[in-house]
Amino acid sequence: MPVLEYLANGLVFSSIIVLASIGLSLVYSIADFANFAHGDTMTVGAYAALATFGVVGGLGVSVLGLPLGFFVALAVGVVTAAVVAAATHKLVYESLDTDSIGLLITSIGVAFVYRALVQIRFGSDFTGFGIQVLRPIEALVPYGVRVTQHDVAIVVSAALLVGGLHLLLQHTDLGRKMRATADNPDLARVSGIRTARVKLWTWLIGAGLAGAGGVFLGLYNQLSPRMGFNILLVVFAAVILGGIGSVYGAMLGGFLIGMINQLTPLLSDVGIPIGIEYANAVAFVIMVAVLLVRPNGIAGEAAT
Amino acid sequence: MSPSPSSDADPDAGTDAPVDPTGPDTVLELDGVDSGYGDVQVLDDLTLHLDASEIVCLIGPNGAGKSTVLKTVFGLLQPWSGAIRYRGDDIGGMAPEDVVRNGIGYVPQTDNVFGSLTVEENLRMGGVARDDDLDPVIDRLYERFPVVDEKRDAKARTLSGGQRQVLAFARALVMEPGVLLIDEPSAGLAPNTAADVFDDVREVNALDTAILMVEQNATEGLAISDRGYVLDQGTVRFTDDADALLDDDQVSRLYLGG
Repeated sequence: MPVLEYLANGLVFSSIIVLASIGLSLVYSIADFANFAHGDTMTVGAYAALATFGVVGGLGVSVLGLPLGFFVALAVGVVTAAVVAAATHKLVYESLDTDSIGLLITSIGVAFVYRALVQIRFGSDFTGFGIQVLRPIEALVPYGVRVTQHDVAIVVSAALLVGGLHLLLQHTDLGRKMRATADNPDLARVSGIRTARVKLWTWLIGAGLAGAGGVFLGLYNQLSPRMGFNILLVVFAAVILGGIGSVYGAMLGGFLIGMINQLTPLLSDVGIPIGIEYANAVAFVIMVAVLLVRPNGIAGEAAT
Repeated sequence: MSPSPSSDADPDAGTDAPVDPTGPDTVLELDGVDSGYGDVQVLDDLTLHLDASEIVCLIGPNGAGKSTVLKTVFGLLQPWSGAIRYRGDDIGGMAPEDVVRNGIGYVPQTDNVFGSLTVEENLRMGGVARDDDLDPVIDRLYERFPVVDEKRDAKARTLSGGQRQVLAFARALVMEPGVLLIDEPSAGLAPNTAADVFDDVREVNALDTAILMVEQNATEGLAISDRGYVLDQGTVRFTDDADALLDDDQVSRLYLGG
Protein backbone atom coordinates (compact mmCIF):
# COMPACT_ATOMS: atom_id res chain seq x y z
CA MET A 1 0.00 0.00 0.00
CA PRO A 2 1.66 3.22 -1.14
CA VAL A 3 0.86 5.12 2.04
CA LEU A 4 4.19 6.87 2.02
CA GLU A 5 3.53 8.04 -1.50
CA TYR A 6 0.17 9.49 -0.49
CA LEU A 7 1.72 11.17 2.52
CA ALA A 8 4.43 12.70 0.35
CA ASN A 9 1.88 13.96 -2.15
CA GLY A 10 -0.21 15.21 0.75
CA LEU A 11 2.73 17.20 2.03
CA VAL A 12 3.21 18.87 -1.35
CA PHE A 13 -0.47 19.67 -1.83
CA SER A 14 -0.76 20.82 1.80
CA SER A 15 2.07 23.26 1.28
CA ILE A 16 0.07 25.02 -1.41
CA ILE A 17 -3.16 24.99 0.62
CA VAL A 18 -1.34 26.27 3.71
CA LEU A 19 0.08 29.26 1.83
CA ALA A 20 -3.36 30.13 0.51
CA SER A 21 -5.11 29.52 3.86
CA ILE A 22 -2.79 31.78 5.84
CA GLY A 23 -3.48 34.68 3.52
CA LEU A 24 -7.22 34.18 3.66
CA SER A 25 -7.17 33.97 7.45
CA LEU A 26 -4.88 36.98 7.90
CA VAL A 27 -7.13 39.17 5.79
CA TYR A 28 -10.21 37.85 7.58
CA SER A 29 -8.68 38.59 10.97
CA ILE A 30 -8.02 42.21 10.19
CA ALA A 31 -10.42 43.23 7.40
CA ASP A 32 -13.24 41.18 8.93
CA PHE A 33 -14.68 39.66 5.78
CA ALA A 34 -14.35 36.42 3.81
CA ASN A 35 -12.42 37.45 0.72
CA PHE A 36 -13.79 35.53 -2.25
CA ALA A 37 -11.20 37.14 -4.50
CA HIS A 38 -8.45 35.31 -2.62
CA GLY A 39 -8.39 32.36 -5.03
CA ASP A 40 -8.14 34.67 -8.00
CA THR A 41 -5.36 36.56 -6.23
CA MET A 42 -3.47 33.25 -6.43
CA THR A 43 -4.23 33.15 -10.15
CA VAL A 44 -2.90 36.70 -10.58
CA GLY A 45 0.34 35.68 -8.85
CA ALA A 46 0.68 32.56 -10.98
CA TYR A 47 0.22 34.40 -14.26
CA ALA A 48 2.50 37.26 -13.25
CA ALA A 49 5.15 34.62 -12.61
CA LEU A 50 4.36 32.96 -15.94
CA ALA A 51 4.84 36.22 -17.83
CA THR A 52 8.08 36.92 -15.97
CA PHE A 53 9.33 33.39 -16.52
CA GLY A 54 8.87 33.86 -20.26
CA VAL A 55 11.44 36.64 -20.07
CA VAL A 56 13.95 35.38 -17.48
CA GLY A 57 13.26 31.64 -17.76
CA GLY A 58 16.69 30.49 -18.84
CA LEU A 59 18.43 32.60 -16.24
CA GLY A 60 21.13 31.12 -14.09
CA VAL A 61 21.96 27.76 -12.66
CA SER A 62 19.44 25.19 -11.61
CA VAL A 63 18.32 24.72 -8.01
CA LEU A 64 16.18 21.66 -7.23
CA GLY A 65 15.47 21.21 -10.93
CA LEU A 66 14.29 24.77 -11.26
CA PRO A 67 16.26 27.46 -13.08
CA LEU A 68 17.12 30.49 -10.97
CA GLY A 69 14.82 32.44 -13.29
CA PHE A 70 11.89 30.55 -11.80
CA PHE A 71 12.63 32.00 -8.39
CA VAL A 72 12.81 35.47 -9.91
CA ALA A 73 9.42 34.78 -11.49
CA LEU A 74 8.13 33.53 -8.11
CA ALA A 75 9.20 36.79 -6.47
CA VAL A 76 7.47 38.82 -9.18
CA GLY A 77 4.33 36.70 -8.77
CA VAL A 78 4.33 37.30 -5.01
CA VAL A 79 4.86 41.04 -5.35
CA THR A 80 2.24 41.39 -8.09
CA ALA A 81 -0.40 39.50 -6.10
CA ALA A 82 0.42 41.61 -3.03
CA VAL A 83 0.27 44.93 -4.87
CA VAL A 84 -2.91 44.07 -6.76
CA ALA A 85 -4.69 43.02 -3.55
CA ALA A 86 -3.44 46.04 -1.58
CA ALA A 87 -4.53 48.37 -4.38
CA THR A 88 -7.95 46.69 -4.41
CA HIS A 89 -8.16 47.20 -0.64
CA LYS A 90 -7.36 50.89 -0.98
CA LEU A 91 -9.47 51.63 -4.06
CA VAL A 92 -12.46 49.33 -3.59
CA TYR A 93 -12.95 47.86 -0.11
CA GLU A 94 -11.80 50.84 1.93
CA SER A 95 -13.85 53.35 -0.04
CA LEU A 96 -17.05 51.35 0.38
CA ASP A 97 -19.28 52.19 3.29
CA THR A 98 -20.63 48.70 3.90
CA ASP A 99 -20.57 45.79 6.34
CA SER A 100 -18.72 42.49 6.10
CA ILE A 101 -21.48 40.90 3.99
CA GLY A 102 -21.32 43.82 1.56
CA LEU A 103 -17.54 43.42 1.36
CA LEU A 104 -17.89 39.68 0.81
CA ILE A 105 -20.24 40.23 -2.14
CA THR A 106 -17.95 42.95 -3.49
CA SER A 107 -15.02 40.55 -3.35
CA ILE A 108 -16.93 38.09 -5.56
CA GLY A 109 -17.17 40.87 -8.14
CA VAL A 110 -13.48 41.64 -7.70
CA ALA A 111 -12.75 37.94 -8.29
CA PHE A 112 -14.59 38.09 -11.63
CA VAL A 113 -12.61 41.16 -12.65
CA TYR A 114 -9.23 39.56 -11.82
CA ARG A 115 -10.18 36.39 -13.68
CA ALA A 116 -11.49 38.24 -16.74
CA LEU A 117 -8.33 40.36 -16.97
CA VAL A 118 -6.13 37.26 -16.76
CA GLN A 119 -8.25 35.57 -19.40
CA ILE A 120 -8.14 38.57 -21.75
CA ARG A 121 -4.37 38.65 -21.60
CA PHE A 122 -3.51 34.94 -21.45
CA GLY A 123 -6.54 33.13 -22.90
CA SER A 124 -8.64 30.52 -21.17
CA ASP A 125 -6.58 27.44 -22.08
CA PHE A 126 -4.47 25.45 -19.70
CA THR A 127 -0.84 26.37 -19.83
CA GLY A 128 2.34 25.72 -17.87
CA PHE A 129 5.75 27.14 -17.09
CA GLY A 130 7.25 24.80 -19.67
CA ILE A 131 9.87 23.58 -17.24
CA GLN A 132 10.89 20.06 -18.08
CA VAL A 133 8.95 17.55 -15.98
CA LEU A 134 11.46 15.73 -13.81
CA ARG A 135 11.78 12.06 -13.06
CA PRO A 136 11.10 11.07 -9.45
CA ILE A 137 14.06 11.30 -7.10
CA GLU A 138 15.84 7.96 -7.53
CA ALA A 139 16.85 7.54 -3.91
CA LEU A 140 13.21 7.57 -2.74
CA VAL A 141 11.73 5.25 -5.37
CA PRO A 142 12.62 2.04 -3.51
CA TYR A 143 10.45 3.26 -0.63
CA GLY A 144 7.53 3.61 -3.02
CA VAL A 145 7.71 7.39 -2.89
CA ARG A 146 7.76 9.11 -6.24
CA VAL A 147 8.37 12.80 -5.72
CA THR A 148 10.32 15.15 -7.93
CA GLN A 149 12.79 17.83 -6.97
CA HIS A 150 10.07 20.30 -7.90
CA ASP A 151 7.87 18.84 -5.17
CA VAL A 152 10.71 19.25 -2.72
CA ALA A 153 11.16 22.84 -3.88
CA ILE A 154 7.47 23.53 -3.20
CA VAL A 155 7.58 22.05 0.31
CA VAL A 156 10.85 23.78 1.24
CA SER A 157 9.72 27.16 -0.10
CA ALA A 158 6.40 26.91 1.71
CA ALA A 159 8.15 25.92 4.94
CA LEU A 160 10.50 28.91 4.63
CA LEU A 161 7.60 31.29 4.01
CA VAL A 162 5.54 29.92 6.90
CA GLY A 163 8.59 30.04 9.19
CA GLY A 164 9.30 33.58 8.09
CA LEU A 165 5.72 34.62 8.80
CA HIS A 166 5.92 33.05 12.26
CA LEU A 167 9.08 35.05 13.05
CA LEU A 168 7.44 38.19 11.73
CA LEU A 169 4.29 37.72 13.81
CA GLN A 170 6.04 36.80 17.05
CA HIS A 171 9.26 38.76 17.03
CA THR A 172 8.81 41.98 15.12
CA ASP A 173 7.03 45.18 15.94
CA LEU A 174 4.89 44.90 12.81
CA GLY A 175 3.88 41.34 13.73
CA ARG A 176 2.84 42.36 17.25
CA LYS A 177 0.88 45.29 15.83
CA MET A 178 -0.83 42.95 13.36
CA ARG A 179 -1.85 40.62 16.17
CA ALA A 180 -2.97 43.51 18.36
CA THR A 181 -5.03 45.04 15.56
CA ALA A 182 -6.65 41.70 14.75
CA ASP A 183 -7.37 41.16 18.46
CA ASN A 184 -8.97 44.53 19.18
CA PRO A 185 -8.88 47.27 16.51
CA ASP A 186 -10.29 50.01 18.77
CA LEU A 187 -7.82 49.34 21.56
CA ALA A 188 -5.05 49.23 18.93
CA ARG A 189 -5.88 52.76 17.83
CA VAL A 190 -6.27 53.91 21.42
CA SER A 191 -2.76 52.53 22.06
CA GLY A 192 -1.43 54.61 19.20
CA ILE A 193 -1.12 51.94 16.51
CA ARG A 194 -1.70 53.37 13.05
CA THR A 195 -4.10 50.60 12.11
CA ALA A 196 -4.60 51.74 8.51
CA ARG A 197 -0.92 51.03 7.86
CA VAL A 198 -1.07 47.70 9.67
CA LYS A 199 -4.08 46.72 7.57
CA LEU A 200 -2.25 47.56 4.37
CA TRP A 201 0.73 45.44 5.45
CA THR A 202 -1.62 42.58 6.30
CA TRP A 203 -3.10 42.71 2.81
CA LEU A 204 0.36 42.77 1.26
CA ILE A 205 1.57 39.79 3.28
CA GLY A 206 -1.62 37.74 2.98
CA ALA A 207 -1.93 38.28 -0.77
CA GLY A 208 1.80 37.77 -1.29
CA LEU A 209 1.55 34.33 0.31
CA ALA A 210 -1.49 33.58 -1.87
CA GLY A 211 0.57 34.61 -4.90
CA ALA A 212 3.30 32.16 -3.89
CA GLY A 213 0.65 29.46 -3.46
CA GLY A 214 -0.66 30.26 -6.94
CA VAL A 215 2.79 29.98 -8.52
CA PHE A 216 3.39 26.62 -6.83
CA LEU A 217 -0.07 25.41 -7.83
CA GLY A 218 0.82 26.27 -11.43
CA LEU A 219 4.07 24.35 -11.11
CA TYR A 220 2.36 21.38 -9.41
CA ASN A 221 -0.56 21.21 -11.85
CA GLN A 222 -1.10 23.68 -14.65
CA LEU A 223 -2.20 27.27 -14.98
CA SER A 224 -5.66 28.31 -16.03
CA PRO A 225 -7.73 31.42 -15.28
CA ARG A 226 -9.98 29.33 -13.02
CA MET A 227 -7.16 27.65 -11.11
CA GLY A 228 -7.44 29.82 -8.02
CA PHE A 229 -11.20 29.94 -7.94
CA ASN A 230 -11.38 26.16 -8.28
CA ILE A 231 -9.24 25.67 -5.21
CA LEU A 232 -10.88 28.42 -3.13
CA LEU A 233 -13.49 26.11 -1.62
CA VAL A 234 -10.78 23.79 -0.34
CA VAL A 235 -8.91 26.79 1.09
CA PHE A 236 -12.05 28.00 2.84
CA ALA A 237 -12.55 24.54 4.28
CA ALA A 238 -8.99 24.60 5.60
CA VAL A 239 -9.39 28.04 7.17
CA ILE A 240 -12.73 27.19 8.76
CA LEU A 241 -11.41 23.87 10.03
CA GLY A 242 -8.44 25.63 11.64
CA GLY A 243 -10.56 28.41 13.11
CA ILE A 244 -11.20 31.42 10.89
CA GLY A 245 -9.08 34.43 11.73
CA SER A 246 -6.36 32.36 13.39
CA VAL A 247 -3.15 32.23 11.36
CA TYR A 248 -1.82 29.17 13.16
CA GLY A 249 -5.20 27.49 12.83
CA ALA A 250 -5.03 28.15 9.09
CA MET A 251 -1.63 26.48 8.95
CA LEU A 252 -2.97 23.42 10.73
CA GLY A 253 -6.25 23.38 8.80
CA GLY A 254 -4.44 23.76 5.48
CA PHE A 255 -2.11 20.94 6.37
CA LEU A 256 -4.97 18.62 7.41
CA ILE A 257 -7.22 19.37 4.44
CA GLY A 258 -4.34 18.95 1.99
CA MET A 259 -3.35 15.66 3.59
CA ILE A 260 -6.89 14.27 3.71
CA ASN A 261 -7.36 15.28 0.10
CA GLN A 262 -4.32 13.31 -1.04
CA LEU A 263 -4.94 10.35 1.28
CA THR A 264 -8.36 9.65 -0.26
CA PRO A 265 -7.00 6.87 -2.57
CA LEU A 266 -6.29 4.97 0.62
CA LEU A 267 -10.05 4.40 0.94
CA SER A 268 -10.26 2.41 -2.31
CA ASP A 269 -7.08 0.59 -1.37
CA VAL A 270 -8.69 -0.78 1.77
CA GLY A 271 -11.88 -1.66 -0.11
CA ILE A 272 -14.10 1.31 0.64
CA PRO A 273 -15.59 2.27 -2.72
CA ILE A 274 -14.94 6.00 -2.58
CA GLY A 275 -12.90 7.16 -5.55
CA ILE A 276 -10.37 9.99 -5.68
CA GLU A 277 -12.94 12.16 -7.45
CA TYR A 278 -14.47 12.48 -3.98
CA ALA A 279 -11.24 13.77 -2.44
CA ASN A 280 -12.68 17.21 -1.74
CA ALA A 281 -15.96 15.77 -0.53
CA VAL A 282 -14.13 13.59 1.99
CA ALA A 283 -12.20 16.61 3.21
CA PHE A 284 -15.44 18.58 3.61
CA VAL A 285 -17.15 15.75 5.49
CA ILE A 286 -14.27 15.64 7.95
CA MET A 287 -14.42 19.43 8.27
CA VAL A 288 -18.13 19.24 9.10
CA ALA A 289 -17.46 16.48 11.63
CA VAL A 290 -14.80 18.57 13.37
CA LEU A 291 -17.02 21.63 13.40
CA LEU A 292 -19.79 19.66 15.08
CA VAL A 293 -17.43 19.15 18.00
CA ARG A 294 -15.58 22.46 17.79
CA PRO A 295 -17.89 25.00 16.14
CA ASN A 296 -15.17 27.67 16.02
CA GLY A 297 -12.57 25.42 14.43
CA ILE A 298 -9.59 23.66 15.94
CA ALA A 299 -7.74 26.80 17.03
CA GLY A 300 -10.82 29.00 17.22
CA GLU A 301 -11.88 30.65 20.43
CA ALA A 302 -15.38 31.12 21.65
CA ALA A 303 -16.93 34.03 19.82
CA THR A 304 -16.44 37.29 21.67
CA MET B 1 -26.18 72.90 52.15
CA SER B 2 -28.36 73.61 49.17
CA PRO B 3 -27.64 72.11 45.76
CA SER B 4 -25.55 74.44 43.71
CA PRO B 5 -25.89 74.06 39.98
CA SER B 6 -23.49 76.95 39.71
CA SER B 7 -21.39 78.95 42.10
CA ASP B 8 -22.91 82.33 41.49
CA ALA B 9 -26.40 81.69 40.13
CA ASP B 10 -29.68 81.17 41.84
CA PRO B 11 -29.84 77.49 42.81
CA ASP B 12 -33.40 77.35 41.61
CA ALA B 13 -32.50 78.46 38.10
CA GLY B 14 -32.70 74.78 37.17
CA THR B 15 -31.82 74.20 33.56
CA ASP B 16 -29.14 76.88 33.30
CA ALA B 17 -25.81 75.28 32.51
CA PRO B 18 -23.52 75.55 35.52
CA VAL B 19 -20.61 77.90 35.20
CA ASP B 20 -17.39 76.02 34.61
CA PRO B 21 -14.47 78.34 35.22
CA THR B 22 -11.23 77.31 33.57
CA GLY B 23 -7.91 78.61 34.78
CA PRO B 24 -4.26 78.69 33.82
CA ASP B 25 -3.91 75.14 35.21
CA THR B 26 -6.59 73.71 32.91
CA VAL B 27 -5.20 70.86 30.81
CA LEU B 28 -8.36 69.48 29.23
CA GLU B 29 -11.46 71.42 28.37
CA LEU B 30 -14.74 70.59 26.65
CA ASP B 31 -16.65 73.65 25.57
CA GLY B 32 -20.28 73.30 24.45
CA VAL B 33 -19.76 69.85 22.94
CA ASP B 34 -22.54 67.98 21.13
CA SER B 35 -21.84 64.39 20.16
CA GLY B 36 -23.45 61.00 19.68
CA TYR B 37 -23.67 57.76 17.76
CA GLY B 38 -24.93 57.94 14.18
CA ASP B 39 -28.00 60.16 14.29
CA VAL B 40 -28.56 59.72 17.99
CA GLN B 41 -27.39 62.68 20.02
CA VAL B 42 -25.98 61.86 23.43
CA LEU B 43 -23.99 64.89 24.55
CA ASP B 44 -25.88 68.16 24.55
CA ASP B 45 -23.88 71.35 24.94
CA LEU B 46 -21.54 69.73 27.44
CA THR B 47 -18.94 71.88 29.14
CA LEU B 48 -16.37 70.66 31.62
CA HIS B 49 -12.68 70.96 32.39
CA LEU B 50 -9.82 69.18 34.09
CA ASP B 51 -6.98 70.98 35.84
CA ALA B 52 -3.44 69.72 36.20
CA SER B 53 -2.96 67.07 38.92
CA GLU B 54 -6.70 66.77 39.59
CA ILE B 55 -8.90 63.71 39.75
CA VAL B 56 -12.30 64.56 38.36
CA CYS B 57 -15.15 62.09 38.47
CA LEU B 58 -18.12 61.99 36.10
CA ILE B 59 -21.21 60.47 37.68
CA GLY B 60 -24.81 60.18 36.63
CA PRO B 61 -27.45 57.66 35.65
CA ASN B 62 -27.07 55.07 32.87
CA GLY B 63 -27.28 56.69 29.47
CA ALA B 64 -26.29 60.10 30.80
CA GLY B 65 -23.39 60.17 28.33
CA LYS B 66 -20.47 59.64 30.75
CA SER B 67 -18.58 57.18 28.57
CA THR B 68 -19.50 59.21 25.50
CA VAL B 69 -17.57 62.13 26.96
CA LEU B 70 -14.38 60.05 27.07
CA LYS B 71 -14.92 58.54 23.62
CA THR B 72 -15.50 61.97 22.12
CA VAL B 73 -12.37 63.41 23.73
CA PHE B 74 -10.40 60.47 22.40
CA GLY B 75 -11.60 60.71 18.81
CA LEU B 76 -13.53 57.43 18.88
CA LEU B 77 -16.57 59.65 18.31
CA GLN B 78 -16.56 62.90 16.37
CA PRO B 79 -17.82 66.00 18.17
CA TRP B 80 -20.76 67.44 16.22
CA SER B 81 -20.08 70.92 17.52
CA GLY B 82 -18.19 72.67 20.26
CA ALA B 83 -14.49 72.59 21.07
CA ILE B 84 -12.21 70.12 22.85
CA ARG B 85 -8.90 71.63 23.94
CA TYR B 86 -5.83 69.98 25.39
CA ARG B 87 -3.38 72.49 26.85
CA GLY B 88 -5.06 75.12 24.71
CA ASP B 89 -4.82 73.23 21.39
CA ASP B 90 -8.00 72.09 19.68
CA ILE B 91 -8.03 68.29 19.48
CA GLY B 92 -11.72 67.90 18.55
CA GLY B 93 -12.17 65.13 15.98
CA MET B 94 -8.49 64.13 16.04
CA ALA B 95 -7.92 60.39 15.40
CA PRO B 96 -7.23 58.30 18.53
CA GLU B 97 -3.72 57.37 17.36
CA ASP B 98 -2.89 61.08 17.22
CA VAL B 99 -4.61 61.95 20.50
CA VAL B 100 -2.29 59.45 22.19
CA ARG B 101 0.71 61.20 20.70
CA ASN B 102 -0.50 64.48 22.17
CA GLY B 103 -0.21 63.09 25.68
CA ILE B 104 -3.64 61.76 26.58
CA GLY B 105 -4.20 58.16 27.65
CA TYR B 106 -7.44 56.20 27.68
CA VAL B 107 -8.49 53.09 29.57
CA PRO B 108 -11.74 51.74 28.07
CA GLN B 109 -14.29 50.04 30.32
CA THR B 110 -14.41 46.69 28.52
CA ASP B 111 -12.04 44.88 26.17
CA ASN B 112 -9.25 47.03 27.54
CA VAL B 113 -6.41 44.53 27.10
CA PHE B 114 -5.24 42.52 24.08
CA GLY B 115 -6.36 39.09 25.26
CA SER B 116 -4.33 37.07 22.78
CA LEU B 117 -1.11 38.96 23.53
CA THR B 118 1.13 38.44 26.54
CA VAL B 119 1.28 40.98 29.35
CA GLU B 120 4.69 42.12 28.09
CA GLU B 121 3.36 42.52 24.55
CA ASN B 122 0.37 44.47 25.85
CA LEU B 123 2.76 46.94 27.47
CA ARG B 124 4.86 47.16 24.29
CA MET B 125 1.70 47.97 22.34
CA GLY B 126 1.02 50.74 24.84
CA GLY B 127 4.29 52.35 23.83
CA VAL B 128 4.21 52.11 20.03
CA ALA B 129 3.99 55.88 19.79
CA ARG B 130 7.20 56.38 21.80
CA ASP B 131 10.41 56.89 19.88
CA ASP B 132 12.75 56.11 22.75
CA ASP B 133 13.64 52.79 24.36
CA LEU B 134 10.58 51.24 26.01
CA ASP B 135 12.47 49.02 28.45
CA PRO B 136 13.11 51.57 31.25
CA VAL B 137 9.48 52.72 31.24
CA ILE B 138 8.13 49.20 31.22
CA ASP B 139 10.54 48.17 34.00
CA ARG B 140 9.28 51.04 36.15
CA LEU B 141 5.68 49.94 35.52
CA TYR B 142 6.54 46.37 36.53
CA GLU B 143 8.00 47.77 39.75
CA ARG B 144 4.92 49.82 40.45
CA PHE B 145 2.48 47.04 39.59
CA PRO B 146 3.95 43.74 40.85
CA VAL B 147 0.70 41.97 39.89
CA VAL B 148 1.55 42.30 36.22
CA ASP B 149 5.26 41.71 36.80
CA GLU B 150 4.47 38.17 37.94
CA LYS B 151 2.52 37.52 34.76
CA ARG B 152 4.85 38.95 32.11
CA ASP B 153 4.63 35.97 29.76
CA ALA B 154 1.01 35.06 30.44
CA LYS B 155 -1.63 35.80 27.81
CA ALA B 156 -3.71 38.72 29.02
CA ARG B 157 -6.93 36.73 28.64
CA THR B 158 -5.78 34.44 31.46
CA LEU B 159 -5.63 37.31 33.97
CA SER B 160 -8.28 37.88 36.63
CA GLY B 161 -10.57 40.89 36.36
CA GLY B 162 -8.50 42.95 38.78
CA GLN B 163 -5.19 42.02 37.16
CA ARG B 164 -6.64 42.86 33.79
CA GLN B 165 -7.69 46.30 35.02
CA VAL B 166 -4.20 46.94 36.35
CA LEU B 167 -2.70 45.85 33.02
CA ALA B 168 -5.10 48.17 31.22
CA PHE B 169 -3.81 51.07 33.37
CA ALA B 170 -0.21 50.06 32.85
CA ARG B 171 -0.68 49.87 29.07
CA ALA B 172 -2.05 53.40 29.03
CA LEU B 173 0.74 54.63 31.33
CA VAL B 174 3.59 53.48 29.06
CA MET B 175 3.09 56.75 27.18
CA GLU B 176 3.43 58.67 30.49
CA PRO B 177 0.37 60.73 29.57
CA GLY B 178 -0.39 64.14 31.05
CA VAL B 179 -4.07 63.25 31.20
CA LEU B 180 -5.59 59.84 31.70
CA LEU B 181 -9.22 59.07 30.86
CA ILE B 182 -10.56 56.08 32.75
CA ASP B 183 -13.93 54.49 32.02
CA GLU B 184 -15.49 52.73 35.03
CA PRO B 185 -12.36 51.30 36.67
CA SER B 186 -14.39 49.34 39.22
CA ALA B 187 -16.90 47.79 36.79
CA GLY B 188 -17.30 44.08 37.31
CA LEU B 189 -14.80 43.90 40.16
CA ALA B 190 -15.31 42.52 43.65
CA PRO B 191 -15.45 45.31 46.29
CA ASN B 192 -11.96 44.74 47.71
CA THR B 193 -10.44 44.48 44.21
CA ALA B 194 -12.24 47.67 43.28
CA ALA B 195 -10.72 49.36 46.32
CA ASP B 196 -7.25 48.28 45.14
CA VAL B 197 -7.95 49.68 41.71
CA PHE B 198 -9.06 53.01 43.22
CA ASP B 199 -5.79 53.04 45.17
CA ASP B 200 -3.96 52.58 41.89
CA VAL B 201 -5.88 55.46 40.36
CA ARG B 202 -4.80 57.69 43.24
CA GLU B 203 -1.22 56.52 42.93
CA VAL B 204 -1.13 57.25 39.20
CA ASN B 205 -2.55 60.68 39.95
CA ALA B 206 0.14 61.32 42.56
CA LEU B 207 2.72 60.96 39.77
CA ASP B 208 1.36 64.10 38.18
CA THR B 209 -1.19 62.65 35.80
CA ALA B 210 -4.51 64.45 35.76
CA ILE B 211 -7.39 61.97 35.70
CA LEU B 212 -10.86 62.24 34.24
CA MET B 213 -12.78 59.21 35.43
CA VAL B 214 -16.25 57.85 34.77
CA GLU B 215 -17.62 55.84 37.65
CA GLN B 216 -20.91 54.05 38.12
CA ASN B 217 -20.11 53.61 41.78
CA ALA B 218 -20.51 57.33 42.40
CA THR B 219 -19.82 57.37 46.13
CA GLU B 220 -16.55 55.46 45.83
CA GLY B 221 -15.52 57.42 42.76
CA LEU B 222 -16.14 60.80 44.37
CA ALA B 223 -14.35 59.69 47.53
CA ILE B 224 -11.00 59.66 45.72
CA SER B 225 -11.75 62.66 43.48
CA ASP B 226 -11.07 66.37 43.82
CA ARG B 227 -14.12 67.46 41.90
CA GLY B 228 -17.14 65.89 40.29
CA TYR B 229 -19.63 66.51 37.53
CA VAL B 230 -23.12 65.08 37.62
CA LEU B 231 -24.24 64.33 34.08
CA ASP B 232 -27.84 63.76 33.09
CA GLN B 233 -29.19 63.48 29.56
CA GLY B 234 -25.90 64.49 28.03
CA THR B 235 -25.28 67.65 29.93
CA VAL B 236 -23.82 68.78 33.26
CA ARG B 237 -26.50 69.14 35.98
CA PHE B 238 -24.28 69.85 38.94
CA THR B 239 -20.62 70.41 39.55
CA ASP B 240 -18.74 71.01 42.74
CA ASP B 241 -15.91 69.75 44.85
CA ALA B 242 -16.28 66.01 45.32
CA ASP B 243 -16.90 66.34 49.09
CA ALA B 244 -19.58 68.94 48.53
CA LEU B 245 -21.35 66.72 46.00
CA LEU B 246 -21.25 63.81 48.43
CA ASP B 247 -22.83 66.01 51.12
CA ASP B 248 -25.37 67.54 48.78
CA ASP B 249 -28.91 66.41 49.60
CA GLN B 250 -30.30 66.77 46.10
CA VAL B 251 -27.35 65.04 44.43
CA SER B 252 -27.54 62.28 47.03
CA ARG B 253 -31.21 61.77 46.53
CA LEU B 254 -31.16 61.86 42.74
CA TYR B 255 -27.84 60.29 41.83
CA LEU B 256 -26.16 58.60 44.76
CA GLY B 257 -29.16 56.52 45.72
CA GLY B 258 -28.92 57.97 49.24
